[in-house]
This record gives sequence, structure tokens and C-alpha cells, in this order.
Amino acid sequence: MIKFHPSNQQLNTFSNGLMAPAESLIISAHCDMCIQCANKVVLYTEAHSETVFDESSQRLDPNLFGTMLSQITSQEIDRGAGSEPKNSTLELDGRKFTLPRSLNRFSESIGNWSHLVGKIWQAPVNIGGDTVANFIFMEKGGGVPEHTHRGTEMTLVVNGEFSDGLADYDSGDFMVMDGKNIHTPLTKSDEGCLVFSIVDAPLHFTSGWARLINPFSHLFFK
Amino acid sequence: MLIGITLENNKPDVRKPKDCAAEMAAHLDTVAKERCKASFAKIFGYFAPRLRSYALKQMGNEAIAMELVQDTMSNVWQKAHLFNAEKGSPSTWIFTIARNIRFDMLRKLQNRKEDICSDDMWPVLCEQTADPKEKSLEEKVTLQQVGELFNSLPDKQKAVIEAIYIEGKSQQEVADELNIPLGTVKSRTRLALQRLKDMLETHD
Repeated sequence: MIKFHPSNQQLNTFSNGLMAPAESLIISAHCDMCIQCANKVVLYTEAHSETVFDESSQRLDPNLFGTMLSQITSQEIDRGAGSEPKNSTLELDGRKFTLPRSLNRFSESIGNWSHLVGKIWQAPVNIGGDTVANFIFMEKGGGVPEHTHRGTEMTLVVNGEFSDGLADYDSGDFMVMDGKNIHTPLTKSDEGCLVFSIVDAPLHFTSGWARLINPFSHLFFK
Repeated sequence: MLIGITLENNKPDVRKPKDCAAEMAAHLDTVAKERCKASFAKIFGYFAPRLRSYALKQMGNEAIAMELVQDTMSNVWQKAHLFNAEKGSPSTWIFTIARNIRFDMLRKLQNRKEDICSDDMWPVLCEQTADPKEKSLEEKVTLQQVGELFNSLPDKQKAVIEAIYIEGKSQQEVADELNIPLGTVKSRTRLALQRLKDMLETHD
């Protein structure tokens, strides 16, 4: 069951179209998995569309719009292109994961899996923009060394369960971490756990051997 | 140019979106079933100028604003059959399309300056992928290797680094604990980090 949701304010900003694109993507993916938030977004969007379209009751200028209208209506209608995208799957070591619809749109932009330390796998997703997006898979017993965040990290649990010393998370859960949070993600479930994560600045490791990395991290910013 | 299409441009349509929702829904239905250009022109006449002023406010650029109007209205023309009046009003549906297109446009605009690779976010932890196609990728130093290099430091330097970077103590605390001057702690730290840095660079 989903326990962690975006805040009403986040859903409202998303609905209004004022959110940064990367953030909007992960909120949108959460709504694919969470009917409760999806319904809220519909309500907020309804309110915003009334306001936005009411404020701007202008005359249609034929110089601006005449050509556009005839261009659009001369397009052939391609029913195939207009239909809902099919759900493809993300694969790792023979395991297959179904992606939320919003992330599925980027299935062509997912890079190769690479193996990190601590039974962690990572596949980058090119979503455009400055924000780095990754699928992270934690095998059973796998985890990320304790860290805090120089920027903001948003995570959506796509499939599985994990804990981070702060709470237990399940499929569909959404969380935001920043410099105020120190956590140690770890999964104990046999199936492992797949998350989608976006970060806008490098992680900052806070304990154990991983701390040694911080002073040298600039060496690898090539 | 506008054969068979009436552009009602004499006076602005000042109705609120909800006051013409039923009418617009009926037009969308006709567009979906009959590809009726006259019905689409009604929808276009109401929403295109509204989308333009929304987009101008959001994007602040006339050309980009018109691109957003064009893409949104093209989608309305192409996907009218996906509109479901039970799920929401035409204005909500069209606003949702515009919102998604705006997100996509922003992503593409930002893409031009995109340069950060994901390894930057996961410094050093990255092991090389066992992919024969990617031999050119430089070898990454693993956490374990950093640990090995660390172990090869002289004992005195290792003790200082361990206390500061692993136990999280301040340099003053380390000086007090080891009963050595603060300056010595500083120089040992500097030497040790320099040594590790040299070793990592040689490793590269």
C-alpha cells in the first residue's frame, strides 16, 4: 500500500504546469501508480484550466491563427499514433519490470545497467535538462552507503520494498530528500527493489569508507 | 486558404470555459467521428487565443508560445477520439495536453545545455560495466580500491585520516586525542590526501 505521497502543494504546482520538467515527470509517474493522487490532480487541473482559460478571452486574430488552423486540419489522422502507449518492460538479469506509463515514454532513453558496490545496479535515463535520472536496483541485502544530499533527491519506488533507517517504503511510494536528511537505503526483500530517482547535485556520503570518497569526488567530475 | 472553414473573428468569445463545456464536448465528438473541420474551427476559435496568452505568460517568447498552441491544437485534432466527457471537461483535457507539451518543450530546451553525466552524481562508486562495446570507458576506482590505497598509507597518516573522515572528528579533536600539535594534524592530513590523490591518479 502506498503511504508516501507528494504534498498537496506539489500536486497543485504540477497540475498548474508550473513545475520543473524532471520533477513533473516523477510526480506524473507516481500518479500513474496512485489513483488517490491522480484524482487530486484531475481536480486541481479542472480548477486551473477554468482560471487560465477564463483570464484570456481574446479575439482570434486571423493573421496569427488562420494558417495554423488550415495546417492542422489538413493533417491526416493517425489513429495508431493517438492511442495509448503500450507498456514495455525494463530488464535486468532476466528480471522484468513493468514501468509506469510516464516513465515508459523514456524507455528508449535508458542507458546500460552498471554495477555499483553494495549489490546496487544503476541505469541512467536521459530525460533532458540538468537533472540526472536513474533507475536504481538494490538486490536483496544491497544498499547505498549512508549519505545526505547537496541538492534534492526525489525517489519513486517502482517495484519492491526498501528501508532507509527513517521509514519503510513500498511500490508507488514517493519521497523527497535534501540536505536535512541522512539515510541508508537497504532492501531485505528477496525480489530486491527497483526505484526511479532524480538528483540535481551529487550525493554526499556520511559514514564508513564511503566518507573517504567525498574529498576526492571532484577528481572524477570529468 | 481557409476553404470550408469559418473563422468567427468578429468579436471575442467571452464565455467561461464551463459555460461552453457541453458545446465544446459536442464539437470534439463531431471531430472524432466525422473529422469535421467546421467543428474543429469552433474549438480552435475558442481555445487557440487562450492557449496563446497562457503560453506567452509561461514561456515569455512569441515563437515558442505559438509552437505550444500549434502542438496542442494538433493533438486535439489528432486525438479527439480519446476525449472522454465523463472524465472531465474539454478545457481540462486541452489544458492537460498543453501542460504535457510544455513539459516536453522545456525538457528539449534544457537538453541543449545538458552536459552532466550520471557518474558525477555517483562519484567513484561506479564499477566498469561488463560490456565489450564500452572498452574505451576509463576504469573507475571502486570503493574497495580506495580502501586498499588507504591501507597503504603510513600508520600516522592513516590514523589522522581515519579519525577525521571516518569517525568524523575535527582536526582539533584529533590533535588533543593524539597529543600532537594542530599543525601536525593539518600537515599529516594534507600529505595523506595528496598521497591518496597521487595514487588514484596513477591508478587512472
